Amino acid sequence: MIVVLRADAGPAELDAVRAWVEARGLRTHVSRGERRTIVGCIGEDGRLDASALRALPGVEEVIPVLRPYTLAAKAFAAAPTTVPLAEGAAVGGPEVVVIAGPCAVEGRAMLLETADAVRAAGAVALRGGAFKPRTSPYAFPGLGREALALLAEARARTGLPIVTEVLDPRHAEEVAAVADVLQIGTRNMQNYALLAEVGRLGRPVLLKRGMAATLREFLLAAEYVLAHGNPEVILCERGIRTFETATRNTFDVAAIPVLKSETHLPVIVDPSHAAGRAEWVAPLAFAAVAAGADGLLVEVHPRPEEARSDGDQSLRPEAFATLMRRLEGFAAAAGRGLARPAPHRAEVAA
Amino acid sequence: MRSAADLAQLREAIAAVDRELVALLARRRALARAIGRAKASAGLPVLDPAREVEVVRRAAAWARELGADEEWVRALFWQIVAGCRRAQREGEACAPPSGASA
Repeated sequence: MIVVLRADAGPAELDAVRAWVEARGLRTHVSRGERRTIVGCIGEDGRLDASALRALPGVEEVIPVLRPYTLAAKAFAAAPTTVPLAEGAAVGGPEVVVIAGPCAVEGRAMLLETADAVRAAGAVALRGGAFKPRTSPYAFPGLGREALALLAEARARTGLPIVTEVLDPRHAEEVAAVADVLQIGTRNMQNYALLAEVGRLGRPVLLKRGMAATLREFLLAAEYVLAHGNPEVILCERGIRTFETATRNTFDVAAIPVLKSETHLPVIVDPSHAAGRAEWVAPLAFAAVAAGADGLLVEVHPRPEEARSDGDQSLRPEAFATLMRRLEGFAAAAGRGLARPAPHRAEVAA
Repeated sequence: MRSAADLAQLREAIAAVDRELVALLARRRALARAIGRAKASAGLPVLDPAREVEVVRRAAAWARELGADEEWVRALFWQIVAGCRRAQREGEACAPPSGASA
């Protein structure tokens, strides 16, 4: 149940509404916008009598929620959520943000080379896996702690915020000592202990859609993070499993407008995992932005033929720079600009 | 009857502690806003991942020293640190620390 208060309702009316709802065993969540205040009721809606609630002073409207998620539901927020990444760049803001970097951190030289290149091309944040979930137990699992130290170095050198995956709640704090954004990978979208942990840490979370998850399941996974007190969640569509095998996954472009109508959370797209092949990454990236995505997560490797994971889908720095130049036109057609990396003062960050 | 009086007294003591806690949280938020302004003028990003972890770990160490439940203190501090980070971004829009406005 969502209670919308009239524009002229004051703190006393708000308190009275919250007290009325909380006395019936539900929790309340308040979202304040410029023109209205929304009180979301969390818990068993059945205990609330909508007409009694409607009669309270200051109440404009009482709307039942017909979704299993509440905190993630669009009606629950007075305004779309924006997640600040860096100075002048927020995911879900007016500008499209691009996060780029290698699938996995493989060593110091390749990471710094990639970081410099993606920054020069206009990426506002650096991605790079330290702990990698791999389908095969014999595949490269990432450099772990060593990679975290290298990511910290790349952050200090370029000023780019770091996006990296958390695989295990036991590592979450260690990763949080380096990462600006904690990524939950596709395989862990429904790892509820991990979702609770990143919810608890209160750091921005980039939640990837499970490769076989419905949008409803995806939003319920986001709900876990929100319910643990962390409002900063970025949703990432990365392609789903279908009968088609030509692409690594099938990019569900419709997920963007559907999510935009269902939730206030920002939505970005990972065209690299959807495509599986470098030459298809740019068209999927353009389609994502044209469909209203708030940003992109792109894999870039200085020498994809030498990559220890995802080489086929990684762009060379030159191809990434070309993508970024062409992306501007697609963003403009969607009524948006491209966020630029914040000016970096190496002397203060060092 | 005596126990009812004790209970009332204890509840009063809790209320006094709660008021202090809220005042301290307001003060911490005001300080965070000032830090936000200082970072902005130094060209530093608001989020400092290593520093946040350091602050939580320091609180955990104090919890051990002072006999508070460490895991509980950690969980609370992650929330406090995240809330104050968000307050840092409001730095310029708000009044200087007074402790009462937050």
